[in-house]
Amino acid sequence: MTGAFEYQLADSWEEAVELHRIWGEDGKILAGGQSLVPMLNLRLVQPAGLIDINPIGAVEPRVADDRLVLSALTRHQDLLRSPLVREHCPILAEGAAQIGNVRVRARGTVGGSMCHADPSGEIPCMVLALDGQLIAHSPRGQRVIDAERFLRSYLTTDLAEDELLTEIRLPIRKHGQGWAFLETVRRYSDFATVEVAATATLSSDAHTVTALRVVVGGVADRPLILSDELLSAAVGGTGRDDELRAVGAAAAATVSPESDVHASADYRRRLTEVLTYRALGKAIERGRAESKGAGV
Amino acid sequence: MVAMTEAIESAPAGTTEFTVVGNSPAHHDFQDKVQGTLRYGADWKLPGMLYGKVVRSLQPCARITAIDTSAARELPGVVAVLTASDVPFNKVVDNASGGLGELTVAQPVLAEDRVRYTGEPVALIAATEPEIAAAAVDLVDVSYADLPGIFDPEEALEPEAPLVHEAGNVLVNWRIGRGDAAAAMAAADVVITGEYRSQHVEHAYLEPESGVGWSDNGVLTLRVSTQVIEHASQIARILDVSENKVRIIASYMGGGFGGKEDMTVEPYLALLAWHTQRPVRMVWDRQESILASTKRHPFVMRYRTGAKADGTLLAQEIDIIGDAGAYPCLSARVLFAGAALAAGPYRVPNITTRSRAVFTNNVPASAFRGFGAMQVVFGYESQMDKLAERLGLTPTEIRDRNQVSKGDTIPTGESLHTAVELTATRDLALARLGPRSTATGPGCRVGRGFASGMQPYGRTIWFRDHASVWLTLQTDGSLLIRSGVTDLGAGQAASLCQIASEVLGAPLEEISVYIGDTALNPPAGGTFATRQLYMSGNAVLSGARELRDSLAAVAAEELGVPPDTLVWRDGMVRTADSSGQNRGIRLAELAQMCQRRGVSTSNLHTWRARGGEFDPEAGQGDSFPDYTYGTHAAEVEVDTETGVVRVLKYAASHDVGQQINPVRVQGQIQGGVMQGLGYALMEDHALIDGQPVSTLFANYLIPTTMDMPDIEVDVVESGEGCGPLNARGIGEPPVGPCAAAIASAIKDAIGVRPNRLPITPERVLELIDEQAAGRVAKDGDHE
Repeated sequence: MTGAFEYQLADSWEEAVELHRIWGEDGKILAGGQSLVPMLNLRLVQPAGLIDINPIGAVEPRVADDRLVLSALTRHQDLLRSPLVREHCPILAEGAAQIGNVRVRARGTVGGSMCHADPSGEIPCMVLALDGQLIAHSPRGQRVIDAERFLRSYLTTDLAEDELLTEIRLPIRKHGQGWAFLETVRRYSDFATVEVAATATLSSDAHTVTALRVVVGGVADRPLILSDELLSAAVGGTGRDDELRAVGAAAAATVSPESDVHASADYRRRLTEVLTYRALGKAIERGRAESKGAGV
Repeated sequence: MVAMTEAIESAPAGTTEFTVVGNSPAHHDFQDKVQGTLRYGADWKLPGMLYGKVVRSLQPCARITAIDTSAARELPGVVAVLTASDVPFNKVVDNASGGLGELTVAQPVLAEDRVRYTGEPVALIAATEPEIAAAAVDLVDVSYADLPGIFDPEEALEPEAPLVHEAGNVLVNWRIGRGDAAAAMAAADVVITGEYRSQHVEHAYLEPESGVGWSDNGVLTLRVSTQVIEHASQIARILDVSENKVRIIASYMGGGFGGKEDMTVEPYLALLAWHTQRPVRMVWDRQESILASTKRHPFVMRYRTGAKADGTLLAQEIDIIGDAGAYPCLSARVLFAGAALAAGPYRVPNITTRSRAVFTNNVPASAFRGFGAMQVVFGYESQMDKLAERLGLTPTEIRDRNQVSKGDTIPTGESLHTAVELTATRDLALARLGPRSTATGPGCRVGRGFASGMQPYGRTIWFRDHASVWLTLQTDGSLLIRSGVTDLGAGQAASLCQIASEVLGAPLEEISVYIGDTALNPPAGGTFATRQLYMSGNAVLSGARELRDSLAAVAAEELGVPPDTLVWRDGMVRTADSSGQNRGIRLAELAQMCQRRGVSTSNLHTWRARGGEFDPEAGQGDSFPDYTYGTHAAEVEVDTETGVVRVLKYAASHDVGQQINPVRVQGQIQGGVMQGLGYALMEDHALIDGQPVSTLFANYLIPTTMDMPDIEVDVVESGEGCGPLNARGIGEPPVGPCAAAIASAIKDAIGVRPNRLPITPERVLELIDEQAAGRVAKDGDHE
């Protein structure tokens, strides 16, 4: 029978690391299964062993050392439900709400999404925008990997063959920082055509944009961080419409997306421009409100 | 005329005294589907069953230089590998050719020396496990030598274009002509031109093509998901056996939409089961289904519409080119329907329509809900809107001045002989939209539009259609209906029960309907062309009335009253006196009385539709029995920076004459709109040089329920239709007006009219760009 595999359960991260070591490249980790199971179904991947890490369970999101700590097994829907996430990394709740559909959000995990590294995945885009860190375990010990390094290319991460992603750490939101996650889809619950995650930091008087970070997904082999140079039209400014539009236009001129059956390269560039401009506007507006202490 | 709203809760139609018809009982098919007990085509299993697979061409246009099946044959578990030389009569012949000038082109069951489209069957495998069959497919080594292909129907018309078939690239060239269009156009105050394009569309039924075949006592039986059991005769030809040696059983379908009107798995199952003498199952997975099944024809439609300054239509010149793909299938008839309906429900005294089906090396196109008459709605409704705009009239005014009425003559020269309630459907649909929504963002604009349409129900008149049914009242009072009808999931079988119950008074729970079996049922014709309520419904109605007449003679004698005063209801026949002292006989007793007296309680009845002729030279004659009319109205919001279109509100209204089952009418309209909105906004079976690039639901986008607005349905019951109890068909009509209504709403929002389907966000942005660049005329047309 084609596609047959051995199925093993891991009850702890230690056991998962050990099983992962034993199976090596013939093994696949099953977390939420929202990408892996369809690929198994279509026989696009045919692992010899499937290591189900769900029995490990996810600990609740927590805050430690000014970082929000997420277990790799945190489900997308947990990002929507957790008050800690909403308080400290609210962009995650905004973006997670746009992931797939309710079934995908109930099963899919943040770690699975990071490791699958789909260039239009919401989680990688947001983790990169937040400048997060990924914690990997292997028989050789623990490694901390910056998100930028972690996301290497299309469906490719920096994880070594024996490494397992266990945790994601994200800097918590600072005072006066706003956020926005925007995407467009051709059809409800599909992959984003283009997505943009943005954070904006305002001066204490809420007047000036002091820092921006913008990541665009769906336009390259991995989510792209817009460079300081691209953002310079708006950093130091007041968030005026023309400043934000200039950044959008510069971003669109920079990306070199590919054409596919859902959208041409030109259209993806247009979306990059519009979504970047809109995300910046929304993030700055929220940052200003935060900075004034008006809440959101 | 009674306008009904909220049909689900409604009581029977007010103008009638029906007790069963007009209600929505949860019939056997609903119950079986909800309980999961209904056995579809793929759910049938037999001992010793093999699994069949089709080896398909990877090339759209090539010579086959060699086929090496040795490695596949040697794979353990493979029982048979068949190629063209194993097929006794290697032709999928279209018996239904109208003989009106179409090219005669044969389609092989399995390709012999060349292939003409990607996905064309080349060889067949039967193996003990599905996985082994799949592995064996990859081991069949077919060597190809590329030939120049042709993938655009307009290029295929060029003199030097490569020929898909030696006979030529134009399968059929229909003409419909009336009056003098050229002279009238020259005399017109205003002439509107337009070019409209539609795309390849996949049927995307829930249940893919599937079935099981087995040989038993020298008879080959196929139990398959099919709309047409009459293909049994063609299977007999392919196997070179007499027709009495082939039996086809149609399982209840999870949708067909025309995609199971041509044969799908039948010839392959037949060959494998006949050759191995073992049961064989074949199920196409989604990818194979999207790759290999027929598609809706892409149309290129060019219109010139001439009118007087007051808006009165004077002339239409219409040219339609349909991409037939590599083989004829039902293209000739689809393009006929396109030609006949090209001007829509508007009076036009002078018209010339040319409609050609053109071969290409694309996947074959064939029947799909709407059947040519739906593509042209986008053409004629866009023209009407443009004409209104040019003359400073509202879309409603231009239609009021030109809309057909009962008694009017249509372009084929026939006159309309039933009510045309288009205005009523339009008033209802427009009223349903309610107050205009406000835009949700700075770059967003809201727009509204509507479109009307007419869709034939019943086969083309020259086919002299007929349907048979066999009704038997049993001695316990229960009723059997035997009919060759196939059930797409729309309740074709259950509707027959309601009609029979209405006439004979047998309670629904005491009626069983046996359908879709060439061995045990009288032929009813296939379920397509919105014909089964019309044809088999009429057969049941008149057959049940005949049966009732013979039963009534016995009951009348017994009760001492005239037969025509009897009341047939609740499993009894009663006298109709109003004193409350009415007397009655239970149907069981009546059946026993009849038996004792030698009166038959069974009736085999054939109902025949009106016949007629069409003259292809003159482009005049009989076309379709009647039409179902309707209007859809839409409100959309367009994000002018992303091009994303959101359908905010949608209302659909059709005149169905008389509802047999209101829930099923609602279901047809709701489902038709969903399919129509997919067609309008996202569905596109894209091909690049004949190679499909969207063969998974991940990239062939059909709308999900989350993409859909609430669809508000208003049903009009004019009491005039050619179906049973004056019903009209409603299977195909609801898919027609959607794209035109959406296009009109988008035009209202952004000021420029879409002329190409699907209207993707990217195309919306292109339209907005064109407008910004000043390349759009005042009436929204592209320059």
